[in-house]
Amino acid sequence: MRHPPYHLRLNKAVDRLTLIDAIKHIGRSEDLRAYTYYGMGGPTLEDFRLIYEFFPEIRMVCIEENEDTYKRQRFHLPCRSRRLKLERTAFSSFLAKYEAKDERSIFWLDYLDLQFTSFEEFMELLGKVGAKSVVKITLRCNPPDFLDPDTEKQLKKQEEFKKKFETVLPSAFTVPPIELKDLAQTVQEMLQIASQKALPSRVPTMFLPVSSFFYNDGTGMFTLTGVVCLRTSEAEIKSPFANWRFANLKWNAPIEINVPNLSTKERLHLQRHLPHGRNAGKILRRSLGYLIDRDQAQTESQLQQYADFHRYSPYFIKAIP
Amino acid sequence: MTSEKQTQYEPVSASPVKAFFVHMLTRDIRLEDAILDLLDNCVDGILRAKVTKGAKAEKSSKPYSGFWAEIKFDEHSFSIADNCGGIPWSLHKYAFRMGRTASHPVDAPGSVGAYGVGMKRAIFKLGTQSIITTKNGVDAYEVEVPGGWMEDEKNWEFPVEPAKIPMRYEGTSLVVASLHPWIADRFSVDREDFQSSLERMVATHYAFIIHKGFSVTVNKITVRPRSMKLLCTRKERSARNVSKEIQPFMFRTKTSDGIEVFLAVGFTRPIPSIDEIENEQDEKRYSSEDAGWTIICNDRAVVFCDRTELTGWGEAGVPRYHTQFIAISGIVEFKGEASKLPTTTTKRGVDASSALYLQVKNKMREGMRIFTDYTNKWKMRADESRKYLATGTLLTLDEIKIESENLKFNKTATSVPPGEQYKPMLPMPRRLEPRHRRISYVKTVQEVEIVSEHLFNERDVNPSEVGELCFDMFLKEARSH
Repeated sequence: MRHPPYHLRLNKAVDRLTLIDAIKHIGRSEDLRAYTYYGMGGPTLEDFRLIYEFFPEIRMVCIEENEDTYKRQRFHLPCRSRRLKLERTAFSSFLAKYEAKDERSIFWLDYLDLQFTSFEEFMELLGKVGAKSVVKITLRCNPPDFLDPDTEKQLKKQEEFKKKFETVLPSAFTVPPIELKDLAQTVQEMLQIASQKALPSRVPTMFLPVSSFFYNDGTGMFTLTGVVCLRTSEAEIKSPFANWRFANLKWNAPIEINVPNLSTKERLHLQRHLPHGRNAGKILRRSLGYLIDRDQAQTESQLQQYADFHRYSPYFIKAIP
Repeated sequence: MTSEKQTQYEPVSASPVKAFFVHMLTRDIRLEDAILDLLDNCVDGILRAKVTKGAKAEKSSKPYSGFWAEIKFDEHSFSIADNCGGIPWSLHKYAFRMGRTASHPVDAPGSVGAYGVGMKRAIFKLGTQSIITTKNGVDAYEVEVPGGWMEDEKNWEFPVEPAKIPMRYEGTSLVVASLHPWIADRFSVDREDFQSSLERMVATHYAFIIHKGFSVTVNKITVRPRSMKLLCTRKERSARNVSKEIQPFMFRTKTSDGIEVFLAVGFTRPIPSIDEIENEQDEKRYSSEDAGWTIICNDRAVVFCDRTELTGWGEAGVPRYHTQFIAISGIVEFKGEASKLPTTTTKRGVDASSALYLQVKNKMREGMRIFTDYTNKWKMRADESRKYLATGTLLTLDEIKIESENLKFNKTATSVPPGEQYKPMLPMPRRLEPRHRRISYVKTVQEVEIVSEHLFNERDVNPSEVGELCFDMFLKEARSH
């Protein structure tokens, strides 16, 4: 079982920290000790390491099907196994057994691909988790998957997409867009429809989105985080997120994460100008005094991204073990 | 001696209680279906207008061209407007009653309204207050279903007034305000899901009518038809070798009471390989499938892609539906007087006990058997069978009917109802005993990944490809010795 190296997935690292931020916002009104985090972990349990670092009071359960990955996870345990339980099972089997029992959960359905089963698992989960639970789902959202130089093959791919996702598509004639931001919007709309199917207006709970992002670390990905809550407590759940700059409480367009690859020296240099609201890109470019991308506009756009996400950008530094 | 007081027995009332009557009617129908009922009325309006105006029998392929219906909804109201001819004042005694009287005028050919409940049921399904404005010839009037009408048990009438705002075209506009709270929620909280679901239903159930020129918009989005298609080998391509062509099984008849039936069942795609079947069982790859039966009554689909006993699956020698039959699809079309069609009152289902339907179902099963048998014969050689299926072109029902003119139909005097049918000679494997053997074995994921990387430089190549290449390599080696 091979996994992409973490240090090559800068934007994913940022996304992980936006989840931490979302949980912090939840923590403003809720007691996080009542929560359990369920995730898929990967070999080094990166998300679990972060959860433990920021919220040691949250219990954790990692679900992993592959035996060797499971063994690697045991090797990488960030804390005592009483705090973090490793479950070796397929996620679908786990879901079949899972009972919320009024417990609050934080789930991260971190999929690598875009399959209809992922939507089904998402829908099943929404119907099972207790109120005030957090559900984050990450899906592949890669426009080249649906492109082909051969027109006939491309049409076939589009037909396959329509057939695969027909019941959650905004329209029966939706074809996968060729721009990442547009495809991310489509995937978000598909998840919105899936959430309405899982929790229709006649049931007392709803899925309230809190943030959504798309990024490309070599492969386009889309990620949506939301809270399952009683319809009557919608305003109460929204309240702590009201001033969060990355909040998406109304299914608005997802935000792009595309942080530039800056050296530590550059980052420390730019630090003195941050945080900065308007025109951060321009100010940071002037401060650097050179371009980091193909032209001035691209450089400013990249630096604006850095300004937006600098608190979440990880440092990858060579260390002697 | 005192005489006991004699009870005066009076006739008892059996008149319906409004709330019961209306709730019963609305409970049995889905919201989407109730809205499709309103669309049915639009199309019936076109047909009625054509008869009234003495239009000649339509031979055009686009008889509904120029006619439209616009559906709009939000959390406050629902509306449907059309230019389909309006409701003649002469029909007012029938159009607004709940149910039909025996004296109801004969419907225009091709209509589907048979019970006289569709519009009223839709109104009360949606809300409590409504206004219907219509223009037909010199008549332009509006009928109001006032708020509170339901509570007044004695009043069964709707007030009528001349139209306040003159309509620019002959047609009808129906607006329902005071939506039921759960309907308002469907239109707002569940808006995206409802919009997509309604659009999909219009696209499938109205595919034939939209193909024939009718235009439907849902919240300003024009709905495109989604037709069922079957693989057919065009005659000129297969003139020399009938046994290698792929055609549907077809049956047509006309009953003594004037119902025309046309049935076609065949393939929509190549038959699935064993791997594909196994993968689909492990995880559901598709949210929808085109397999199964679609039943059309007077151009409107009343059943879409059914794979149950209702359409003959799992009955009388036909196997139950299973993923291996994912390529099989059938269409049955009934045309004729609405009251004689085998539909339920909701018009979104087939009356399974209808004598006509039961007879036609025999033919549906007969046709299906040919294709389930073909699938079973070829399932171990799905790849080989693809070359035959590749000769086929996907055709709509109308195109199949045109193509059927080139095929020789045989009379089926023994069938009930008597008709004529075309039984395709599907290509069969030359030898019935298999020329191929399937090899299957199980190895650990890790071992498969090691071999995959060794052979393909990738660890996640499909295991069957890994196994096949291993075999081919040893076969080559064995042959060289």
